[in-house]
Amino acid sequence: MSWPAEITMTGAAVTPLQLALFAAASGDHNPLHLDPEVARRAGFDRPLVHGMLTMALAGRLLTDRLGVGCVHMLHTRFTGVACVGDTLELHATLEREADGLAHYALRGVTGRGSEAITGSATVGPPRR
Amino acid sequence: MTIDRGRIGFTTAPSRVTIDGWRVKLFCQAIGETDPVYWDVDAARAAGHAACPVPPTFLKAIEGEHYSSAALLQLLQVPLAGVLHAEQRFDHLAPVHVGDVVDVSRQVARIDDKKDGALTFIVVDTDYRLADRPAARSTQTILVRNTPAS
Repeated sequence: MSWPAEITMTGAAVTPLQLALFAAASGDHNPLHLDPEVARRAGFDRPLVHGMLTMALAGRLLTDRLGVGCVHMLHTRFTGVACVGDTLELHATLEREADGLAHYALRGVTGRGSEAITGSATVGPPRR
Repeated sequence: MTIDRGRIGFTTAPSRVTIDGWRVKLFCQAIGETDPVYWDVDAARAAGHAACPVPPTFLKAIEGEHYSSAALLQLLQVPLAGVLHAEQRFDHLAPVHVGDVVDVSRQVARIDDKKDGALTFIVVDTDYRLADRPAARSTQTILVRNTPAS
């Protein structure tokens, strides 16, 4: 399999509905993600996007391009925050290939230009 | 505050969590996933899956059905207000599908102070097993910002 050198995905602005759906799906009901007043009291202009939602978008970046079941390992550091209304641009950069697997460096940046995540991933042929 | 280091090694008793289709669908809607293989069993079978697969990192979303990170922090007597999710790793070892029953167990692997105690990192490992094989392992790093007054 030939692995792309770069994969990029730019999403639409993250909506409050997405965060509510994610809260329901994940059971993470922390009001920092849902309540503008709680977010303001914590020093943020708007509710924060769940880190795990951003990480799941990094997973989708890879599966959209390389196929369902391609992700063997995903590792992210939540180096910054994304807020409701931010767009997120995700990048994967091929670092090396070995034994049929490819290793990518990951980065997620908001439309405001601030870094939200960095990380790495190992992908392989899709598993069923 | 000082977190009780006696909790290092604390391991939850494994419990069984069934992968519900509604949860996978909500998760997909939340992340903008539009591939129907994740919720339409006919689409999944046509694509060669035994049943609807789950997306990467989905298994984090069932932790609360076992023993949530919030509950672990409560056990460690860490107030939720001062914590951040610093880092997360997932090793996906085998596909997991809707309808699968997953045995989940979590362990407080490490508690480390940094920056002269201003920060504490709590590392929690989670194991996910299918009946006959490991499905995934994850590592969550939680950052606690310690205030001088506490």
